[in-house]
This record gives sequence, C-alpha cells and structure tokens, in this order.
Amino acid sequence: MNIIYPATAQSTDAAGIIGGTDFSAIAIGVLTGVAFGAILLRAGASSFTLIVNMLRLKNLTVMKFFFLAIGVGSVGMYLVDAFGTAHIGIAPFYLLGMVVGGAIFGAGWAISGYCPGTSLVAMAQGKIDAALTVLGGLVGALTLALTWDYLEPVLVDPLNYGSKSIPDLLGVRPLYVALALGLIAAVFVAYLNQVDRRNGIGTGGRLSRRPAPRITGHQA
Amino acid sequence: MNELTDQGDRRRYIGWMYGGILLGLLNTFAVATYGALGVSRNYVVTDNMALEAAGSDLPQTNSYLSLYPGAVDWLYGIAIGMVLGGFLAALIYRGFNTRTVPRLWAERFGDSRPKRFAAAFAGGFLLLLGARIAGGCTSGLVLSGVAQLSLAGLVFGISIFASGVFTAKLMYRRLS
Repeated sequence: MNIIYPATAQSTDAAGIIGGTDFSAIAIGVLTGVAFGAILLRAGASSFTLIVNMLRLKNLTVMKFFFLAIGVGSVGMYLVDAFGTAHIGIAPFYLLGMVVGGAIFGAGWAISGYCPGTSLVAMAQGKIDAALTVLGGLVGALTLALTWDYLEPVLVDPLNYGSKSIPDLLGVRPLYVALALGLIAAVFVAYLNQVDRRNGIGTGGRLSRRPAPRITGHQA
Repeated sequence: MNELTDQGDRRRYIGWMYGGILLGLLNTFAVATYGALGVSRNYVVTDNMALEAAGSDLPQTNSYLSLYPGAVDWLYGIAIGMVLGGFLAALIYRGFNTRTVPRLWAERFGDSRPKRFAAAFAGGFLLLLGARIAGGCTSGLVLSGVAQLSLAGLVFGISIFASGVFTAKLMYRRLS
C-alpha cells in the first residue's frame, strides 16, 4: 500500500492524518522517534559544530553518516517493497519550490547549525539555542501558512510534475535503482572518508576506543 | 585541534558507520510499518494545536493549516519520540550540554548570547519556511525522499547542500 500524495498541488506533501491516531500507531511512532533521536544524538548530528563544519567541508562525519543511512534505507525499503508491503510515498516534484525552498532551508541550516529534526534532539539535550531554533521553526511554518495563498501560485503550481520517481523516469525496476543507489552511496562515503583522513579527521567508522577528550567551557 | 572540538560533547559518538547503518535500518522499519521518517510537517501540526488552544479559527479557515489537522498521529509520535530519545540518550551517555553559545560560533561572532539566540531563531524560521515550501526537510525529503528515489528529494537535497555550503563558507570565511 502506498501513501497517496495529491496529484494536484493542494498541499506539498500528504495531507491529513499520517499512519493513524490509534494507540498502536502512536506508540510505534513514539518508539521509532526515540530510536531516531537517539541515533541522531549518538552519531553527532545534533552537534552544532559537526553540522557547521560539515557545511564548511572541514569535517564530513555527519555527511558520511547521512549518505550511508540513505543508501542502506533505500535498499532496505525496496527489499521490503519487493517481498512484502512497503508504505512508500513519492513526494510531488515542483522545480521552483524545490530550488527556492532548498536555498532558504540551506541558509537556515548554516545559520542555526541544526535542521528541523536535529534541533528537537539538541533541545532535548539541553541546548538552549536549539530550543530557539525550534521556536523560530514554529513561527516560520506559521508564516508560510499565512502567505501560502500568495506563494503557491508562484512556487508550487508552475513546473509541477506531480509524484515523479527516478525509476519511473529511467524505466527501471525500483529495486535495481535502489541497489545502484546503495552502491553509489557506499563508494561516495568511502571517498568522503578519504577526504576526512587527508584533513586529519580520524574518527573512523568504528566505535572509538579512546575516551572522549574532556573539554571545559563552550562545547560542541 | 579541530577534531577535538568537533568531538566536544562529553561522551563518545557511535561512529558514522554504525550510526548510518542503524538509521537506514530504522527508516526501513518505518516504511514497513507506517511510512518513511519525516519531521517538518509536525511543526505545522504543532502550530495548529497551539492556535486551537488559543481559540483561533485559523486551523479551519487558513488554506494551508486546514490541510494538516492538529491531531497526534503516527508521524507526530515520531517528533514526540525524538525529544524523548534525545533526552534518554543524553541521560544514558552523559550527553547533556547546556552551553548557550557554541565555541565555533563564539570564535567567529563573539560570545554574546542574544546574538546567538537571535541567529538560532532566524535560522529556525528559514529552515521551516523553506522546508514547508518544498514539502519536507532533511528527513522527509532527503533521508527518506532520496531513499524512496523521488526526484523531488534529489533536487531539494542538491539545493540545500549547495545553499548550506555557500552560506557556511560565507559566514565563517575569516576562520581557518
């Protein structure tokens, strides 16, 4: 069963309730979120310094983590899809919204040092600036809602191609494209790791056996 | 040294390789149960909840807000779980960190708290404005969207990295 996205651009992603409001749906959602939050924190993705140094191309740890997760996730999802039921939803593609929205998002990413998800985790670990990023996000989302009637005709309606997937465009079975993406992600991440090594970032992929350095004062 | 400050939270990271594999498997689990991971939509749902609590009729009358009812569903459970998971992981791995101004920020922009807080707020504003224009964020459109092989996720991903790298290079150009 696939999640149904609107063919016409009434909303930018699936509207309404996602996954149900019954107890088991919410409970599984919360448990999934707990794992998501814990993984983000433990991988360093809720660190301002690691995010900003990734965007400065000084330390690619979070980029390696993220791209590897995309590759593993893609293969996993389409294996589930091939042998069972996967709830896959292809988001609508409207070029201007992707490019302009992405450019605005990228600026906010570099300025805050968080994204909408990692700011929630960083806030939970006590980072006060991250709580302000969450607050700013709530105001930003509200601002978008209040200006939606003006922005939609400009950014969402033109050049709107609806749900477009790469396998559709290529005419290839999704699982094969996912396997190719997994391979590309692995090679790319290995390359990023070489760049990190050259830059003297020796974090490696394994659990570090060294204790974390003790730093006083301002921290990552 | 750069590496040390990057690892500055007083605990150990699990390493990008284990972390990446775990997150990929988690997203596979999510897709096998209800749908792919996503976050930014929950900001709109939270706005709706706050407006409803304040007695506003915007959640019904606004053309955008009315699409995202202020109800706790599976996806909203993920946002609740992320806060809970971040808190629990911080508790277990001594990851609490109540610093107000990150060291890297202070090196470039000074240690003024109001300045950092204003930037964090403005950054969050831009994050959600951009994410909701595109219909997703780093989670829904890139982590999940690219994994689901959507063209939207791919283009959005290229756009956010291009803009993020450009902005970060510009902001921190005076630092080595």
